[in-house]
Amino acid sequence: MEPENKEAKKEENIQDNKEKKESHQIHAEKSEKTEATAKEDHKKKETLEPRENRKFNFNYDKHYKKLLIIPIVLLVISLVYIGIFYSKNNDIFHKDVSLSGGTSITIQGDISQESIEPQLKQKFSDVSFTKLSDLTTGKQIALIVESSASPEDLKSEVESAIGYSLTDENSTIEFTGSLLGQGFYKQLILALLLAFIFMSIVIFVLFRTFIPSIAVIFAAFADIVMPLAFIDLLGIRISAAGIAAFLMLIGYSVDTDILLTSRALKSHEDPINTRIFRSFKTGSFMTLTALAAVLPALLLITGLPNSFRQIFLILAIGLVADLINTWLTNASIIKWYCTKKGIK
Amino acid sequence: MKLGFRIWFLIIVLFLASLAMAPWKSFDSGVVIKSVELNSSAFEQGLRQGQIIKSIDGKEVKNLDDFSIILEEKNYSQEKIKTIFLTSDGEILLFSDKKPEITVALLPKSNLKTGLDLSGGSRALVGAKDKELSSTEISELVDIISNRFNVYGIADVVVLPISDLRGNNFVLIEIAGATPKDLKDLVSQQGKFEAKIGNETAFIGGEKDISSVCRNDATCSGIDGCFQNEGGGYYCNFRFSVYLSQAAAERHAEITKDIPVNTSAQGSYLSQKLDLYLDDNLVDSLLISEGLKGRVTTQISISGSDSGTTQQEAFKAAESSMHNLQTILITGSLPYQLEIIKLDTLSPSLGKEFTKNILLLGLIVFIVISLILFFKYRKIKITLSVILTMFSEAFITLGIAALIGWNLDAPSIAGIIAGMGTGVNDQIVIIDEAVSNKKISLKERIKRALFIILGAFFTIVAAMLPLFWAGAGMLKGFALTTIISVSVGILITRPAFAEIIRRIEE
Repeated sequence: MEPENKEAKKEENIQDNKEKKESHQIHAEKSEKTEATAKEDHKKKETLEPRENRKFNFNYDKHYKKLLIIPIVLLVISLVYIGIFYSKNNDIFHKDVSLSGGTSITIQGDISQESIEPQLKQKFSDVSFTKLSDLTTGKQIALIVESSASPEDLKSEVESAIGYSLTDENSTIEFTGSLLGQGFYKQLILALLLAFIFMSIVIFVLFRTFIPSIAVIFAAFADIVMPLAFIDLLGIRISAAGIAAFLMLIGYSVDTDILLTSRALKSHEDPINTRIFRSFKTGSFMTLTALAAVLPALLLITGLPNSFRQIFLILAIGLVADLINTWLTNASIIKWYCTKKGIK
Repeated sequence: MKLGFRIWFLIIVLFLASLAMAPWKSFDSGVVIKSVELNSSAFEQGLRQGQIIKSIDGKEVKNLDDFSIILEEKNYSQEKIKTIFLTSDGEILLFSDKKPEITVALLPKSNLKTGLDLSGGSRALVGAKDKELSSTEISELVDIISNRFNVYGIADVVVLPISDLRGNNFVLIEIAGATPKDLKDLVSQQGKFEAKIGNETAFIGGEKDISSVCRNDATCSGIDGCFQNEGGGYYCNFRFSVYLSQAAAERHAEITKDIPVNTSAQGSYLSQKLDLYLDDNLVDSLLISEGLKGRVTTQISISGSDSGTTQQEAFKAAESSMHNLQTILITGSLPYQLEIIKLDTLSPSLGKEFTKNILLLGLIVFIVISLILFFKYRKIKITLSVILTMFSEAFITLGIAALIGWNLDAPSIAGIIAGMGTGVNDQIVIIDEAVSNKKISLKERIKRALFIILGAFFTIVAAMLPLFWAGAGMLKGFALTTIISVSVGILITRPAFAEIIRRIEE
């Protein structure tokens, strides 16, 4: 809470210097508000909120449209980046073997990647490696080798590189036929599209007004596009579970948008800015706890199954994008809408 | 303080969830029989899959080590020696010169089952080569594949029909535990079916000999009638037609023409039987009626019977025997080639490592969220109730998974953890609505919170639904646990939580 306060104060000072008239308005509004809420103040701590709100109000009324520029710029950059990525790779992201077809071998034990990489690279140009380690000791527990080769070819080459044979006990071998992989890929993309459409329908049914619903859907769209661009930037290969994570992101990210929109449109006891700011306080805390549920997985990522890693990584990036898209994109649009419609 | 209906409801559901998971099973000791080799002495003496072995020769069997040490010490060699098994079905005596032909596993610690990626095993997705299978074809294929596994005595196999968003049909085969080396051969090879009379092969599987087997057609396949035994029980007769090729019919006539006829009370039959072999294992023997002796006929009728204590039971038994026999006859005569399109073998020890790490992760998430909530609200009562609700949701979701026998794989558990995140989100909404904005009544505030929560619930369900079909349902677990956990939230824990907050506020 402290830093927020300071920042708000700083902003206020800057405003004070530049625009005297407006700062008068704040003071007037402030005194009015404190009187209104003073009676309840001593009961609960929550009275802190409205006070902060008023500082926030001032800037917000003036600048909310400008705030919208940030996410739009980010979104455009993301789309352009994905476009460039597409023209280079003929796909919107790198697919792992579960989607493109190929073999993944997990060799248990402390196998050094360096010792087997040259031999495998020579034979399979597309081979890639991932290390897994124990969460408590940090010791390497396994090495994953992936390639589009057939399981027989890759297995025998790995065996010759490590010098012993792979059994059911000391290794995990996963193979997906390339046709099936491509089939999965197309279907999961279709599923993503369906999920998006279903979510949009739910949002329209919930709010039954066009602009606010579109604002939520637009924010959700940006919630998918931004993380996707980021994943591309990191060069991560997405698996089937990864796409599932994008689906979940749709459901996961709109709850704060619903909170914002319903508070902005459905309750009229406080001024709109207070409602938006109160939603921000609740919503950002929600996203923070959601991040708390997914971030530990990222720190411990080396000891978890691939599906887990993908799901939590994408959710974490998505939640950060959601903070931007809910509180800059959606909030600005809803504020704009309320101003136009005269909703106070 | 009097507890409200909603809180009582939560308590009851929590209790039921713990019943479903049966955690007390972790106190049970012993090993469970996973498979018994067919036609082995162990099988003949009554050892069966699913029995629990409590002791051998009076020595207690607590774990797998006990089991192998006791049998190792027995020194099976040339001489037949006695082994006494105390099982869940009573005492079973075995006289043998060989180690009992059974495989065992540790008793499950609870009703919760983990998926293949955590328990280890192998998984194959099978389709037809260059052909799209219809849903009838796929259910036949499921029968055929299950049948072949049965013949091999491989237990703990899941064979399921699966279809994806585009309407493609596959068969999913999952074998838990260590991987049988021959899964791939077993599936990719066509089954070998032979019908022999004595040492001579009358006909083999495949369109060349068997042109078709009548099934699901009442005119040439069905139950003929049911009768009461003298002893009191019932038996039902079944009959179905098999169409042979001309060559096979001639071969059959050639072999049978010199076989003498035995006449008994049941009727007149040839003295040699028609033995059905599946992949060189004898699976059934049929009597050949006198009328077929030396006759060239392309349509033969196969009949049999099965019994039961009631007429209904006998009917069911006969139906399943018939179905079984029909499946055997068409096995190996599949009009298409099978193709493995996905094959995973997953190491059990790596799975163990993953399980350990996931449990640790779950604990860390739980602690981190609890700390954040405490720092935010600084009220022990509110924090505790959020944590309790979060715990309840995960617990009830696990209980439901145990109840429906869902195999919890890594994505399913990811769904539960992500569900904990949304659950907490909803509670934050309730708390914030409840404690702030005092200008309207508490009831109205809770109502608004529930609107937001319901909206969030429907969007997450809508977003996860397509996963039930996409990608052959391989990620169904993720969607399922997420939907279960948010539904548990909406229906059970959220109302109870709102009630608790109302009481704290009042």
